[in-house]
Amino acid sequence: MATAAATKRAIFECLDVRLELPPLQRCILEGITLDLREGEFLTIVGGSGTGKTSLLRVLGGLTPVTSGSLLFGGQKVTGPADGVVIVFQDYSRALLQWRTVAGNVALGLEGRVSSAELKDRVANALEMVGLEKRTEDYPWQLSGGMQQRVQIARALALQPAVLLMDEPFGALDAMTKATLQDELLGVHSRTGTSYVFITHDIEEAVYLGDRVIVLGGPPGRIYNNIAIDLPSPREQIVTRQMPEFLALRAEIHAEIEKSKLAAHAVS
Amino acid sequence: MLVALALLWEAVVRFKFIEFEYLPAPSGILSAWGGLIASGEMLDQTLHTFYAVAIGWTVATALGVGLGIVLGLSATVRKWSLASFEMLRPLPAIAFLPLALLLFNFSLKTELVLIIYASLWPALVNTMGGVMNVSSQLRDVSKSMRLTRMQTLIKIVLPAASPSIVTGCRLSMGLTLVMAIIAEMLANPHGLGYAVISELQAIQPQRMFAYIIYIGLIAIGLNYILTRISNAILRNHPHVRGQNV
Repeated sequence: MATAAATKRAIFECLDVRLELPPLQRCILEGITLDLREGEFLTIVGGSGTGKTSLLRVLGGLTPVTSGSLLFGGQKVTGPADGVVIVFQDYSRALLQWRTVAGNVALGLEGRVSSAELKDRVANALEMVGLEKRTEDYPWQLSGGMQQRVQIARALALQPAVLLMDEPFGALDAMTKATLQDELLGVHSRTGTSYVFITHDIEEAVYLGDRVIVLGGPPGRIYNNIAIDLPSPREQIVTRQMPEFLALRAEIHAEIEKSKLAAHAVS
Repeated sequence: MLVALALLWEAVVRFKFIEFEYLPAPSGILSAWGGLIASGEMLDQTLHTFYAVAIGWTVATALGVGLGIVLGLSATVRKWSLASFEMLRPLPAIAFLPLALLLFNFSLKTELVLIIYASLWPALVNTMGGVMNVSSQLRDVSKSMRLTRMQTLIKIVLPAASPSIVTGCRLSMGLTLVMAIIAEMLANPHGLGYAVISELQAIQPQRMFAYIIYIGLIAIGLNYILTRISNAILRNHPHVRGQNV
């Protein structure tokens, strides 16, 4: 999977990106160089305070870089790019509580596509996440897992080239999380969309990713970039018991520990 | 409960347990009320007051919500104008009455100026607060979906702020009625407020009480109607709907 992806075109190209944020111009990210290939599932793992969310906001065009270059499809990123959508961790605050499930999913399409196409794309997106029977419900009538599915469907309805996901399953229980991981991989295999998936859960990073980037800090820097050569499709029980899976998990765990020591030495 | 109170009141007056020279019995008030309805006087005064309330409230809430949205959206506008608004807001509208009288004489204009000045603020302050409190997460969602500023305002900011806006408009209505009555008592010889005062001056306590109770009923009725309307507007906002009953 990873070797096949490596031959594909890069969608995002990040070169020596540095990010400082006001009011103190504190350095949040430095020397970030990475690229995201077409159709690739990239996971970024790191402890809290390592700048994971900041990196995602930079890629999503919500925060401009302080220095370095960031290209999307060969173009310099100056704001949220067409074809890049963020899925936020806090689904209850990211959904419009006064709109139905279908209304939420339609948000990015209204006024941009014909009403027939809108209906079609909303229905498709909701089917992909298994919510086709809850279209007229309101978010507050759904469980946490379902609400996060609505947010994912809302992003998918835009048919993005890249989905940026900020710890989307971080607030969910283990069983819901496992189900959603498999659904997400299913959606990934059916569409050409690339993913950048942020998590602090090492197992999740290995299970989902074609490639895992280890972020350490602060300030956030890339400590390692590991290709995951596990067979697809992945399977909760089989994949997680493979010796390769366990070895990768141990390796990434060790990398994170190393990055903590390194960050400590820097500061 | 109310009936028992009315009966007690009737008994107190009729059997002179306590003596007030001008306290009418409920039965007297009711018959005076009937006379006011029959002569059409009450209807005339009601129509005037309703007219002033409708115009005053519409202008006040339109101005208040409009200014509140601009102030809520733009930190720059807030920076340059909020201090002035905070200077003007606590000034009691009634203190402007002599000024309004000088400018507009004893007229509907004077009444409307007072109404609008007083009932502008709840709509303005609540709208501004509601718009400023829209979560930054929702704003990020809107940016990430590349919504235009206009789309963000209409699809996200206004619906998210609508509970505060509706509350502000309801609070404004309370003040509108109060100011209309006061203005009619002091500055515009028409309407229900004027009716109360002129019955007082004519030493017609029964008719005066009839008007006072009637004004109370109107206030309760207006509040009931507005509550129903705001619940209808906020039917999709489950977290606030309960608080608006």
